[in-house]
Formats: sequence, C-alpha cells, structure tokens
Amino acid sequence: MLTIKNLHARVEQKNILNGLDLTIQPGEVHAIMGPNGAGKSTLGYVLSGREGYEVLDGEVLLQGENLLELDIEERARHGLFLAFQYPVEIPGVSNMEFMKESVNTMRQQRGEEPLSAAEFLKKAKAACQQVKLPLDFLKRGVNEGFSGGEKKRNEIMQMILLEPSLCILDESDSGLDVDALQVVANGVNSQRDGKRSFVVITHYQRLLDYIEPDFVHILANGKVVKSGDASLAKQIEKEGYAFLGLDSSEEAKA
Amino acid sequence: MSAWLQQVLHRGQAISDWLSPVRRQALQALNDTTWPGRRTEQWKYTSLSAVEDLALATGQSQSQPEVETIDGIDSLDLLFVDGELRTDLTTLNLPAGLHVSQLEQADALHQVAATSLYAQIKPKRHLFGLVNDVLAQNILFIRIEQDCHIQQPIRIISHSSDGHESHQRVLVQLGNKAKASIIEQTQGQSNSLSTGFTEFDLGEHAQLEHYRLLMHTKQAIYFGGCHFCLHDQARLDSTLIGYGSQLSRTDVDVIHNGEHANAKLNAVYLLAEGEHFDLHTTIEHAKPNGTTNENVRGIVGDKANAVFNGRIHIHRDAQKTLAELNNRNLLLSRRGQINTKPELEIYADDVQCAHGATVAEIEEEALYYLRSRGISRSQALIMLNFGFIQELINQMPNQQLAHWLAPQLRARFKEMEVR
Repeated sequence: MLTIKNLHARVEQKNILNGLDLTIQPGEVHAIMGPNGAGKSTLGYVLSGREGYEVLDGEVLLQGENLLELDIEERARHGLFLAFQYPVEIPGVSNMEFMKESVNTMRQQRGEEPLSAAEFLKKAKAACQQVKLPLDFLKRGVNEGFSGGEKKRNEIMQMILLEPSLCILDESDSGLDVDALQVVANGVNSQRDGKRSFVVITHYQRLLDYIEPDFVHILANGKVVKSGDASLAKQIEKEGYAFLGLDSSEEAKA
Repeated sequence: MSAWLQQVLHRGQAISDWLSPVRRQALQALNDTTWPGRRTEQWKYTSLSAVEDLALATGQSQSQPEVETIDGIDSLDLLFVDGELRTDLTTLNLPAGLHVSQLEQADALHQVAATSLYAQIKPKRHLFGLVNDVLAQNILFIRIEQDCHIQQPIRIISHSSDGHESHQRVLVQLGNKAKASIIEQTQGQSNSLSTGFTEFDLGEHAQLEHYRLLMHTKQAIYFGGCHFCLHDQARLDSTLIGYGSQLSRTDVDVIHNGEHANAKLNAVYLLAEGEHFDLHTTIEHAKPNGTTNENVRGIVGDKANAVFNGRIHIHRDAQKTLAELNNRNLLLSRRGQINTKPELEIYADDVQCAHGATVAEIEEEALYYLRSRGISRSQALIMLNFGFIQELINQMPNQQLAHWLAPQLRARFKEMEVR
C-alpha cells in the first residue's frame, strides 16, 4: 500500500524528517507514537503534499505510484486521506457542498457516475449519524464554529464518505472525552475491511485501546527508532520514552 | 478614424426622423472624436482593434432565438433581436399606469416626454453612446405614471445573432412615487456587435429595482450603458451581472440630481478563459444628503482580462453625502489580469466617503484543506469565493430571479475552472 524509504524533509529551513522508513501492507493499522517534535505531524503533511514542506531526499510509493510527484489533490484522488489535527474553518462553504464536490471528484477518479443531490444527501446523512453529529452540521460552513471534538468527528465523517485506501489520522484523539473517542474509534473501525490501511498518529495509548494496531512505531528525531506490536504502546504508556535513551530535550521543548 | 466609425457616420447621415436634431449633435461629436487608442484614458485597458475594421450586416435579421422564461416570475417580456423589437406592443396586456411604446410611433405627448430623456441623462463622453444616439432604431419608451406601483417585472431581452450589428435604446421614466422592476438581459455568443443604452429618470420618491444581466459571451462584442438620474428621495437598487466575451464594455452613470436620493449598485463579473470585460461606473453627487453604496466583485479566469473603473464625484454643494465603493477581485490564474481603479473626487467638506479595491489573497490553509480532499485548486478557489459572489446575489430584492441565476452562475464557474 505505502512504502516510505529514507524520507528527509524540512520546514522553514529546519530538518524534521531524517531518513524515515515505513512499509504498510493493505489492511494494516500502524500506530505512530513519539515525543513532541519527533516529526509525527510533519509526516502527515509531507505525505499529503502541503506546501512549505520540502522533501530533500527519499521515496514514497502509494499503491506503486510515486506520491511525491503528485499535486495535493491528485494524492487525495489516489486514495490518500489525512484527518487533520486542527481542521480549518471555512465559513461560506457548506459542509454539504464541500463533501459533495469532493465525493464526486473521487467517484470520477474511480470511473463512477457522480451522485445526484438526493443520493448524496442520503449517504451524507448516514455518515453524519454514524459519527453522531446533528444533521444540521451538513448545512453549516465547513467546521465553522464546531468544537474541537466536532471537528474531529467531521474529519471521520469525511473519511467515511470518501472511501480512501490509506487513512492517516493525525492525533484524532487529542482533546476528546471518552464518548467522543469511542465515536472516532468506531468510525475508524467501521472502515477496516482488510484492504484499507491506517496510520494512526497519537500521543497516547488510550486511542489504541479502541483501535487495535498491527504495528506500533516510535518516531524520534525524524525517523523510526523502534517498531513492535501493540504491546510497545503499552510499554510507553507505563515508562515514557526514557527507556529508548532519547535526548530528553526533545520532550522538554514541548 | 476607424473604417467602422466612418461607416457609422455615413449611415447616420441617412437617418431622418423627429429625433434628428439630437442625432445630428451626436454625429457632430463623433466627427470631432479621435478613435480611442492605448493613450485614451477611458480605453486604456480595453483595445478596440477588433472593432476598427469590422463590417457586419445591419439589416433585418431572420434569427428566431429561443428565450428562456424565468421560473416563478411572470414578467412582461419585450424581445429585441438584432436591434429590432419583435414584441408586438399592441398585444400587451399592460397594468394601469404603465405605458410601453416605440418612439417612432409615439404620440406628441410621449414625444415631448422622450425628448427630455433622449441623450439627456447619458453623458456625452461615451463614444458608443454617441453611436447609439445616431443609429438606434425601435427606441423603446417605458413610462410609469406617478404613484403607480407596477408589480410585474418588465424584462427586456436583447439577442444578438451571428454576423449582425445592432443598436438598441431604451428610455424609462418613473413618475413621482412610482415603483417598478426592470430586468435587462443580453444573450448571444456568435460574432456580432451590439450597443445597448438605457436612460432612467427616477422622479421624486420613485423606486426602481434594476437588473442588467450581461449574459452574452464568446464572440459577441458589446458596448452598453445604464444611466440613471435620481430626483429627491428616489431609490435605486441595481444589480449587474456580467459574463465576459471577446469584448464587453459597460458604462454606468448615476446622477444624484435631487436630495436624499439613495443608490445601491451591486455588480458581479465572472470571466472565463480569454474573455474581456470592462465596467466603468460614475456616481455624480450633485445634491446634498445623497447615499451611494457600490459593491463590485469579480472572478477572473485564465488569460481573462477585467477592467473596473469606479468614480465617485462629490460636488461642492453635495454636503452630507455618504458614499462607499468597494471592488474585490479574485484571479484564478497568474495569466488572468485585473485593472482596477477607484476614484474619489470630493469638493464638499462634510461627507463620508470610503473606497477600496483588492485583488484577493488566497487563503492558503483553506485551499490546502479543500485540495487535500481531492478538489482541484481552481475549483477550490471558486468554492471559497462563491460565497463572496453569493453575498451580492442574496441581496437581490427579487429572490426568484436570484434562484434562477444560481445554477447558471454555478455552470459559469465550472466553465471558468483552470485545468
């Protein structure tokens, strides 16, 4: 599904990713943990193609396609989805209009007919209910006036509607209470079908109680320093990152 | 002088009717005019080279265009095809207080009324306005008696067809306290040249709801004007929607000729690839206590060219004037161009006046967000900015008309997408 080899990237003249390797097979769930400043969010942005994130070296293949050569929108059309940690508010563009445009673009990419307004509405309502957002959120401006938790749920709703092949969740658990956390986790789990892959970026083991990962990677100083199974996350929860012998200044900085 | 203008003068000399004195003055003015070039301030960013040697048919047109009705609006439709009035005025079922006539056949009373309007509101500086003075036939005169409120919108549709040149003129007179709604709509996509000028006289306390929908596009060449004279307490609410075409130029003049008059002007232009659109507006505050609120917004596609010049002139006596002018633009591509110039000229000392022009800064973060969901950059730009166009559409007093326009504007946006 996704192969990252020796990825180096920088933001504003600062090297953040320093030779990151990661391979993800279809259907797998990979959790990425690590101290603040390790490059977790940067990884998501670099993969999505955000401007200002400069790739210095390395290779990224998504389903055999050279991801780094594609525009932001083309990456999305090739099945990449990034659930943002801080989704932006866009007053004046309704959630509904936004998602309909987006869903139909994806359908077009897959050679499918665009959905009619009625067909789309039906799907959108179902997705909205699944993430427990009131239906009038569809009519509201994108994320406009949404609480932190509502924004996260809105991201998951988009993920459900867009049917991507690789989902990257950037701290989708941060700032959520237990109920909201379950909604997000259930949303993700409902999309696990043995083919779709997930990268779950998180600080805490907590989310991984609900979304069980196949692999856990620890990211520090821009590369994967340790990989393991779900038990690695539990170990970190207990002992922190100290046992990895990392420079503690990275953590202190946050 | 251009070969085309020479032709105009030649044809103009052959026209003889009771408007001849006015026509002759215009002819004289045209004779004294030099053909505008790059150094002519009024035409600095709009080249007339496509017109210079143009030779199109000026006779009767056989064309039978289809005219779309507007859902939910039972409008009184008046159809012009290549300058010729096709609607039989004698068959119209007009509400009391509304008179629609063709000047050539008007009775003496209407002729007198019309003479006080024809080329009297429209300033003489408009080159193509003068051409229209000389050549316009089938002049339409719409008169609303004082105190009459005409509920039914009056819609004037002007169609231009392939290979034709036409000149169309409308005069509108609203008596004191009269009320009306007028929709002027152009259509046509093929090689043609048309001029369309309308003069509006709004009596004391009169209220006019006005729409000019410039929906001609592609090869059509167009020169038009809306010229309003506002008397005491008159209210004008005007919305102009413009698509671009090979060459499209519109001049709007609002003259506050009475106190406490109120003018609201909204304009939107949406230009697809390679199109040109030029809007010049002039607001003359000649009397005190007038209000003008002008909002002009445009989106300019790839290799398209928009020109906006908005002038507000506050005369020495026009104390307590409130005037605001705002122009906002969005360029969809680096190869698009906008030349915008707000001009304030203020000779009174107790006025409130504001103006501004912006070429939109793209909200990068929102753009990134939309693109990360597979939406193309230009489509995302359009979505982000449909709102600012929609805002003006939502202000249209006739919401049925807004409703009819919305899907067409969306279709227009699709055409504007930079691929």
